[in-house]
Amino acid sequence: MKKFILSRLLQSVVVVWLVYTATFWLLMATPGDPFIGKKQPPPAVLAALRQRYGLDKGDFHAYLAYGWQIIAHGDFGPTISYANWTVLDVIRNSLPVSVALGALALLIALWLGVAAGLLGAVYRGRWPDIVLTVGTLLGISLPTFVIGSGLLMVFAVETSLLPSGGWGTLKQLILPAFTLAVLFLAYLARLSRASTLDVISSDFVRTARAKGLSPMKVIAGHVLPNASIAVLAFLGPATASILTGSFIVEKIFAIPGLGEVFVNACLDKDIPLVLGIVLVYTVLLVLMNLLVDIACAMADPRIRI
Amino acid sequence: MRQTLLIPSLVLFIVGSICFYISTPHQQGRDAINFCEAGQIHTLDPDKMTWMQDIRVAMGLWEGLAQYNPQTLAPIPGVAKSWKISHNGLTYTFFLRHNARWSNGQMVTTADFIFAWKRILQPSTAAGYVTMLFHIAGARAYFNSLAAHPLKHLPFSSVGIKAITSHKLVVTLAHPCGYFLSLMAFPPFFPLNPAAMAHFRAAAHGGVPVQYDPRWTRPPHLVSDGPYRLAGWKFHQYLELRPNRYYWDRRAVQCAALYIRNFPDAQSAFLAYQSGAVDVLSFVPTRFAPALLRQQRKHIRDDVHYRPVFGSYYFNVNCRHKPLNNPLIRRALDMAIDKQAIVKDILRLPDRPLEVLVPPESIPGYKSPHGLPMNISAAKKLLIKAGYPGGRGLPIFKFLTNSGAAINIRIAQAIAEMWRKNLGVRISIHEEESKIFNQDVVHGNYDIARAGWYGDYMDPTTWLDLFRTGNPNNLTGFSNAQLNALLHKASYQTSAVRRFALLHQAEKLLVTRWMPSIPLFQYSDGLMYNPQRIGGISTNVRMITLLKYIHWIHRPAPRTAEAPQ
Repeated sequence: MKKFILSRLLQSVVVVWLVYTATFWLLMATPGDPFIGKKQPPPAVLAALRQRYGLDKGDFHAYLAYGWQIIAHGDFGPTISYANWTVLDVIRNSLPVSVALGALALLIALWLGVAAGLLGAVYRGRWPDIVLTVGTLLGISLPTFVIGSGLLMVFAVETSLLPSGGWGTLKQLILPAFTLAVLFLAYLARLSRASTLDVISSDFVRTARAKGLSPMKVIAGHVLPNASIAVLAFLGPATASILTGSFIVEKIFAIPGLGEVFVNACLDKDIPLVLGIVLVYTVLLVLMNLLVDIACAMADPRIRI
Repeated sequence: MRQTLLIPSLVLFIVGSICFYISTPHQQGRDAINFCEAGQIHTLDPDKMTWMQDIRVAMGLWEGLAQYNPQTLAPIPGVAKSWKISHNGLTYTFFLRHNARWSNGQMVTTADFIFAWKRILQPSTAAGYVTMLFHIAGARAYFNSLAAHPLKHLPFSSVGIKAITSHKLVVTLAHPCGYFLSLMAFPPFFPLNPAAMAHFRAAAHGGVPVQYDPRWTRPPHLVSDGPYRLAGWKFHQYLELRPNRYYWDRRAVQCAALYIRNFPDAQSAFLAYQSGAVDVLSFVPTRFAPALLRQQRKHIRDDVHYRPVFGSYYFNVNCRHKPLNNPLIRRALDMAIDKQAIVKDILRLPDRPLEVLVPPESIPGYKSPHGLPMNISAAKKLLIKAGYPGGRGLPIFKFLTNSGAAINIRIAQAIAEMWRKNLGVRISIHEEESKIFNQDVVHGNYDIARAGWYGDYMDPTTWLDLFRTGNPNNLTGFSNAQLNALLHKASYQTSAVRRFALLHQAEKLLVTRWMPSIPLFQYSDGLMYNPQRIGGISTNVRMITLLKYIHWIHRPAPRTAEAPQ
């Protein structure tokens, strides 16, 4: 186990470096100049800006200098578009918002998804299963902005039951978290339905039934734990896509998260900010996958690492 | 292993709760006014700002030697209680008031102004509006010498800024400038508190100039001398402004707390406004504007405050390239556009079509010339004269516009159709992201490009200078000795009447003969707020809302909707 974790951590360093390199050169290859706005200052001012952000000595120099700054000082430097905030300040302020939203969405998706999957598997081929199959199909195929705008129309504009957006209270969290959860909920429902069906037909479940256990006990004690391993393995990638995919939800519900900052940073060609956010996402993703692998191994003795 | 799902759920719950707790804003009091800006605050460093929302907040935090009259925008005494202007219009003597104080209680002195102006004149400060200081004698030479020889530059004493005493400042100009006093109310001329910034100073060494860690503008470090102080700033959420208790005109500030907010898009901002979570919108959402204005006309609502402003929408024509370097073609293009139809049918807003560059009736004392009216047969004749009868022989022009506003494309399509039908001229429309668009326009990679401009000060030169040779904002590449001479002559004219006459002549030539830009319409802009509840907001031609005067007239019942963001 120790050896596994160590080698995975070493691999992660390489992954992070590759991501840094790819992001940097892709950014350099995109057209647009971060310092040219609507009103043009004298050339000396533009030159000073390029110097401040270390972009005056050529791309390769900047590639090394940024890399060194990150490794040696753990610092991404100041952002270009929000001059009074460093990249770390921005991440420190915006990441918790996205994480809080993502965590709640994932919780909703996890519990409702697994419950729906179990229900579908137990009532296989009967009406609850059909309703759920149609529902999950809709959940997977409807784009987030349709679901978000629909919920907004029904719960905020027409009935005023919930606030239209913003950040700060639990009530404001309900609509965006649910919107963000829908896709994963549907996905998890399908996944857990399939793995439950798989487990239900296995020998030990038949044995449990034969022992005379009540159906509830069979499901809760034997089916669910074994069916959940597939769900658990899905949590790693799901965390990543929920964090990076929250942009549209953040925009619809006016949530000050990292998703919106990230998309705007790309449009503004804010090189330090894009690099910083991509690297933080990469590290989070690598760690999550590692954690999920370890958790799977602990939950399922058949998986060896 | 019953915990398969319980443990991850527990982890998610704990992590989520912690993150939620640390990211939520504190509760605001009932007295707070929520003011929603159209865009994010980019910087609170008055030397570096160029965005309207930044400037608006800066005018609430700082005060220059002068401040604006909220309706007319005429300069009225600010930190300076009075001033004297010499007969030749070149020497300004400012007398600072003794009760002007920083938000930390320190006295505002001439040294603070000199510190700030010296800082903005360093190229390393990278101030977008540094050219505004070039009216001061020696300022341009000082800036250029610093840019060329950072180690062997001209002394600051060569610049016409002298502190006679701690409360008497003499500024000598390079040439008369009728609007110099109104610049004193604009952020690049605001004083800065050297003591508060000292902590963030990185010393100059070996050619690397003095730099300030940009975090000096964050609370609690920011010290300002205006109506408000910066009490809080949560990134992407809000700025909290509270009255500066040391401000000399403290009694005029009646708002106990002002929250400056912003939303990722206009629709969510409008929803927040409708639900009462925001009290003032600093814009009228474009998408809903026609409907909102209709309701306002029918007296269904009275909260839309909309008016023509000092900004215009036009097309830049690239005068460097053949055949558009021929003014005949540019004039033909202008005369073949039905600008009234663009405003009425495409924009569907009460904006005014424009034949000239400077929005008419904006500058007191300045009379706009007459531009070219729409005249298709005359336009056709111009094309024949240029050697392209019926548009034959002309290439397909590359038309560039920035993405982000659907209206740009619709206007371009309508005009493309007018040009095709009326003149036989064809264009291909290219939409680009703002950053790429700006770069292409600055580098001249276009034939015709959409443009918009808001005047920075109430003078025709804020537009006419755009066509002066060598101005970095001259995007059309237009260069004409006669125009340069007229502008030069006007800048040395002490009489305002004669000066305006020269500028009138320059604008007339630009819009009737040279036509480097094709004017389309004057922008209108507005705010949304309930006039029975909120007072002290004046809609002036530059949409400079002075936060100083905002106050409750009638406070609403306790908020039912949650505070946004």
